[in-house]
Amino acid sequence: MGWKTWGLKRSPWVYHVNVGACNNCDIEILELLTPRYDVERFGIVLVGSPRHADALLVTGICTRQAEPRLRAVYEQTPKPCVVFLIGACACTGGIFRHGYGMARPADEAIREIDPGAIIAYVPGCPPKPEAMIVGAVKALAAL
Amino acid sequence: MSQLKNPAGAAVQSAVLSRVLSSLGGMVTEFEEQNPRRGWVRIDPARVREMARLMTDEQGARLATATGIEVRDGIDVLYHWALDAEQYVVTVKALAARPSLQIDSVGQDLPAALWIEREMHDLLGAEFRGHPDMRRLILADDWPEGVYPLRRGFKVPKTDPAGGRERKKWAGAPRPPAGPSASQPRGTRPGRTLINIGPFHPLQEEMEFFQLYCEGETVVDMDVRLSYNHRGVEELSTRLTWDQVPFLVERVCGICSHSHPWAYVNAVESLAGIQAPPRAQYIRTIVAELERLHSHMLWVGLAGHFLGYNTVWMWAWKYREPIMDILEQVTGSRIHYACVRVGGVRRDIAPDMYPAIRKAVDSIKKPMEMLTKAVLDDPVLHARLKGVGVLTKEDARRWGVTGPTARGSGLAIDVRRDDPHGAYDEVEWKVITQEEGDVFAKAVVRCLECFEAVKIIEQCLEKMPGGPIAVDVRQVPPGEGCGHYEAPRGETFHYVRSDGGAGPVRHKIRAPSYVNIPSFRASCIGQTVTDVSIILAAVDPCYSCTERLARVYDASTRRPLYGMDELLRLSRAKTERLKKEV
Repeated sequence: MGWKTWGLKRSPWVYHVNVGACNNCDIEILELLTPRYDVERFGIVLVGSPRHADALLVTGICTRQAEPRLRAVYEQTPKPCVVFLIGACACTGGIFRHGYGMARPADEAIREIDPGAIIAYVPGCPPKPEAMIVGAVKALAAL
Repeated sequence: MSQLKNPAGAAVQSAVLSRVLSSLGGMVTEFEEQNPRRGWVRIDPARVREMARLMTDEQGARLATATGIEVRDGIDVLYHWALDAEQYVVTVKALAARPSLQIDSVGQDLPAALWIEREMHDLLGAEFRGHPDMRRLILADDWPEGVYPLRRGFKVPKTDPAGGRERKKWAGAPRPPAGPSASQPRGTRPGRTLINIGPFHPLQEEMEFFQLYCEGETVVDMDVRLSYNHRGVEELSTRLTWDQVPFLVERVCGICSHSHPWAYVNAVESLAGIQAPPRAQYIRTIVAELERLHSHMLWVGLAGHFLGYNTVWMWAWKYREPIMDILEQVTGSRIHYACVRVGGVRRDIAPDMYPAIRKAVDSIKKPMEMLTKAVLDDPVLHARLKGVGVLTKEDARRWGVTGPTARGSGLAIDVRRDDPHGAYDEVEWKVITQEEGDVFAKAVVRCLECFEAVKIIEQCLEKMPGGPIAVDVRQVPPGEGCGHYEAPRGETFHYVRSDGGAGPVRHKIRAPSYVNIPSFRASCIGQTVTDVSIILAAVDPCYSCTERLARVYDASTRRPLYGMDELLRLSRAKTERLKKEV
């Protein structure tokens, strides 16, 4: 384990990227920060810029308009970083996958510019906050 | 029902419709009374502007939205007018005939129609003569010109993993100007600064792209680009069956995930003449009010967060948790409830669950009182919110805003009262209004509505009737219907059209923020940049902008004009001044 990965696993700072979600995964992510779940206990902090982030929390189906912006955000994030695809939409396109608004799955969009991207999937519509915590623990343990 | 049943001049049952018909006079070609609360009128398309003027000025109607449908002879434009005081919705149809597909723009006189006409232009290719701003609104930048997703025969283009076949094919295709975009700012001139906000912004949950045009600290114009979140729900809906659509529309917006399906089933039930059994109506009402509680508390928290008052955020979201728990117990999910279906509800609330609901609802009364007091009595919040972002009653009417945004401006409209359904006409509650129209008024409306929601839930549990929770719906006949419901953010309006098949052939959805967001142009202009953040948030689209410090140089000497000491002195002086005002 390189020192960068070692550093990544401790108190990951996250940046929230909504690329066409229904807002549900997003409020559940904010829910994580509030008193019941309070992930700041573990040093997980929501930051305002991808340049400060260790992990991206991607929600939504990756719409046509959002896809180039998602790639731009990923490029700005310092590597190594973990991409969490949160919710059914981000993982697979969910109920919107046959619509004309969807460009393509978010993982494909990211793998196009970085084939070795570390991507973790947290399915659910929306995943419960507990599920997101489990997803984070599993992904960091696998590094 | 592209052919309405009555020719002009036939007898009319409803007093409202007959008044509307006599006001519109000679332009009416046919009309139909669907039920005591819904009427349909077809008019001469050359006179839509006159119609809009008569409906707003003489009838006092509010333009809920408009729907475009492709028909054999062109594009039918349906203007849905809500007559809130009379509990009536009248839809006026006008045909934009082939081959030009042109019709006069209503938006040039009535700002409430500006966005929806741009949308119909994007999605269907209708042309609105005289519209001041025909830039692209909701399709993506890379969408080619002349491909209209809501036209018949549109096929969703296939993408392949290696970058998209059709992406390459479309790369060189001509595109209309999309607005706003960084490359084509409008109205920039010396002395005017353009501040881009978005599409990603630290305090925005969703992607939105705002452009603020500022002179000094004052915002003089603003512009907004949608499409980042455009998923094409209306088109997807036409590929589903009547019973599948509620699952789709509850994912239109996760925080209104009970309101959208309810408005949809209202539309279908009005189309098919179905009445859901009383117990179903009560269950719908309880879930809807629980949703309103969670949504308003969420807003109070976020508003605090935007103002830098994070204590309110943490408190509000902590006290919201019992509501989320009880929603999970009642419906099976914290957020997507899957509660309503056409003809009733999917799941019953067992009587042994009533005490748990009562307890949860009871548990938030005290904290809510405390939060309301923290908001109402805090001198800092007064200084920050009072008189900020005023939307006057007249502007509120012209922009057609709904929900707490309208009620904060003194417009007493609430679909729960103005088109009663569910249990709302059987329980005691009142519509909260405030006259001031500023951000503070909207905050007060939301806080006080929480107490009304608690009252409604308690009475519903008290009076809950027995019996079945749904009626069996075998078929939805051909026809069309509209339904609306008061979501936490305002009226959500749905229109469906059936050809007698398994699912809708056209489904129009108009969410409350769609009419509330454009009103920014009325409430933000003339305010300072720092206040814009909370004004935009007051409508509840979740967005904010950070304060920025620009260094000012003297143009001739290139020497900085304001140093650190000077700025400190200025800010101290301003604080002193504010303290005196407070």
